Amino acid sequence: MVNGYQATSLKEALQILAKESVTPYSGGTDLMIDPEENATFLFLARIPEMKNIVEDTEYLRIGAACTFTDIIENELVPAILKEAAAQIAAPAIRNLATIGGNICNGSAKGDSALILFATDAKLCLVSSRGERVLPIAEFYLGRKKTALQSDELLVEILIDRINLSNYYYKKVGARDALAISRVSFAAILNVADGKIVNCKTAFGAVSDIIIRRADIDAMLVGKTTKEAKVVKKEYMAAYDQAIIPIKGRISAEYRKAVCMNLLRDFLESNGI
Amino acid sequence: MMINFILNDQKVASTAKANERLLDILRTEFACTGVKCGCKEGECGACSVILDGRLVNSCMVAMGHVEGCTVMTIEGYRKTERFAALDTSYASVSAVQCGFCMPGMVLASECILAKNPNPTEAEIREGISGNLCRCTGYNAIVQAISIAAKEGEGLW
Repeated sequence: MVNGYQATSLKEALQILAKESVTPYSGGTDLMIDPEENATFLFLARIPEMKNIVEDTEYLRIGAACTFTDIIENELVPAILKEAAAQIAAPAIRNLATIGGNICNGSAKGDSALILFATDAKLCLVSSRGERVLPIAEFYLGRKKTALQSDELLVEILIDRINLSNYYYKKVGARDALAISRVSFAAILNVADGKIVNCKTAFGAVSDIIIRRADIDAMLVGKTTKEAKVVKKEYMAAYDQAIIPIKGRISAEYRKAVCMNLLRDFLESNGI
Repeated sequence: MMINFILNDQKVASTAKANERLLDILRTEFACTGVKCGCKEGECGACSVILDGRLVNSCMVAMGHVEGCTVMTIEGYRKTERFAALDTSYASVSAVQCGFCMPGMVLASECILAKNPNPTEAEIREGISGNLCRCTGYNAIVQAISIAAKEGEGLW
């Protein structure tokens, strides 16, 4: 095959990646928009290790080459991720586009990446030297910059299996289909024995990297809903400081206002 | 080295480079000109084909990805009974104007009905949401797919 390698096993793919200058190709939907004329692709769609969706005692493990259609149709996948995946592009794109590509594209507008921030997912990166597991927040280094080394592949996404049910998700786009997020927001809040045991929020498409501030969310953890109401003003003020939107096709002011409105709505929908 | 795949039920081999677009190769090497080049960025659906049973934008597919796959374009699909049912239903409500979007729209219709032979209007609209039509205003197309579901009962 000229200008391409067809890998049928992870081992084979890693060997090619270790010695050749190739572009990993999973679903292709981001790559083919503006392909480099002389790009040599390493095709990943036939690597079984990257196509599985399985669970172990701790994690749901999603192969990076699973398409969004694979994810929507799989019964193990939590509703928060299915809902976000179902709002990506249109069916024909979801049939090709993969979760690994959405992450490795390095964009803060990645709709599946947002959910992975809100669930504190981990990424399994593998090279012929070995593998490492990185929290998703440590994977992103800036706009279109990730921690992925040139000989590494993102092979699996690991999502904690507990505390995923009470979620909030909103994507703000210009239309229903084929819209790139203007602002997206995902959050999870769990209450046990009358106390908030878990509060995670993430803001997408706002700045260069998805915003996830566990330190601010910690203000609500351990409190009853009533107690959370007392610190709500302080909590909102902390996010007002933390969210510094960038101006793109839409204004920074708009993005900021939408973020704060969504955050408020999320709290109110949980009685806070 | 050749890229082997099945195109409209026939085994074919392409001399294309792995990084070339399926869209371009279908049109130039295999004369499948029903596949239209619209936006080249996955936004319009005019280049839709069915790849291993799923609707995809052929402008977004590199040839290397197609190795060993099955591709159906309107040229192959038009020989089927299902196409005949859609052809009749589209014609019955004049769901075609300029026709540029039609090959993609018909293949999208097939994928909607293959997944669910009795789709709701919302499901039909979702199924064609990646296929732009600048003439019909979509209502006639939605109606046509709904008619095909009824009239073509048992086909899907």
